[in-house]
Amino acid sequence: MQGLKPIVSTESPALIFGTTTKLASDLPATDSFLGKNKVPDLQKLFQKADGLPVHLKRGVPDKLLYRTTMALTIGGTIYCLIALYMASQPRNQK
Amino acid sequence: MAHQAHSYHMVDPSPWPILGATAALLTTSGLIMWFHFNTSYLLALGLLSMLLVMLQWWRDIVRESTFQGHHTPTVQKGLRYGMILFITSEAFFFLGFFWAFFHSSLAPTPELGGQWPPTGINPLNPLEVPLLNTAILLASGVTVTWAHHSITESNRKQAIQALALTILLGFYFTALQATEYYEAPFSIADGVYGSTFFVATGFHGLHVIIGSSFLSVCLLRLIKFHFTSNHHFGFEAAAWYWHFVDVIWLFLYMTIYWWGS
Repeated sequence: MQGLKPIVSTESPALIFGTTTKLASDLPATDSFLGKNKVPDLQKLFQKADGLPVHLKRGVPDKLLYRTTMALTIGGTIYCLIALYMASQPRNQK
Repeated sequence: MAHQAHSYHMVDPSPWPILGATAALLTTSGLIMWFHFNTSYLLALGLLSMLLVMLQWWRDIVRESTFQGHHTPTVQKGLRYGMILFITSEAFFFLGFFWAFFHSSLAPTPELGGQWPPTGINPLNPLEVPLLNTAILLASGVTVTWAHHSITESNRKQAIQALALTILLGFYFTALQATEYYEAPFSIADGVYGSTFFVATGFHGLHVIIGSSFLSVCLLRLIKFHFTSNHHFGFEAAAWYWHFVDVIWLFLYMTIYWWGS
C-alpha cells in the first residue's frame, strides 16, 4: 500500500497571531503615539522553525548574555566554594 | 510535525531555573562573607547574577506569550492561581512582622518603661508625611484601575498616561519615605520600637520598589503594543501586586504609625 495519509498535518504550523480581539494598535494610521507596532514582526521572528530554544532565539545578543550569565554564575560558585572552605578552617589563636 | 493535543505550555529546555538557584547560593554565601569577613565581592556577584537571571527568564516569558502565542486561557488560569498564591505567601510574610510588633507593644516590658511608645522614643507624627504617603498610595490605586479600564477599552493614550502617573506616585512615595528615614529621631538600633518600625516599613518599602519596577516593565510593554484589550495578564498581575502593597501600607499606617504613637 502506498503510504497511509498521516493523521497529523505535516505542513509547518500557521503562525499564531492574536487577532481575535481588538488590539490597542487599532488606531487611525495617523496616531503613532510613542512608536509603531512591531509585534507582528517579532511574532514572525520568534516563530521561525529554526529549532532554537526561546532563550537563544534572537541569535548573537542572546548567546552573549547567556554566556556572560553562565560565566559569572560558574565562576561565582567556584569562588564561593573556596571562600566557604577557607572560612571553615580554624583560626590560629595567639 | 505533530501538534500538541492539549492547551498547556510545554516550555523549551531553559537554563534559568538552575542558574537562579545558583544565584541564590552566591547571594546567601555572599551575605555570610560580608557579615563575617567584611568582603562584598561574592554578594555583589550573587545580586548581579540574580538580576541577569530575572531579566532573561521574564524576557523569555514575554517571548513565549506575546510572540509565540503559548499563553492559552488554560495557561493564563494557571498563572492567575500562581500570582494569587504568591501574594498570599507575601501576606503571611508581613503577618509575622505585625505579630512581632503587637507582641512587644501590647504588653510593654519594664525595660521599655512599661509604656508604648517606649520611654525616650519620639514617634513620627502620623498626621504629617505618613498621612501624605497614605493619600499617595490610595491615589495610585485609583490611577492603576483607571489604566486597566483604559486598556480594556483600547484607549492607548489614556492607558499610558494613567500607568505612568501610577509609577510616578510610587516613586514619590519612595522618595518621601527615604527622607522620613533620614530625618527620623530614632534608628533601627533603638530597642524593639526601632526594630519593629524599620523592619516592617523597610520590607514594605522594598515591596513598593518591586511593585514600581513591575509596573514600569508593564508601561514599556504597553507602549510596545504587547497588550490586547482582553489579554493583558502581566498588567493585571502587576496591578494586583500594587493593590496588595497599598493594603499592607494601610495596615502599617493604622497599627504602627497611628495606634503605636
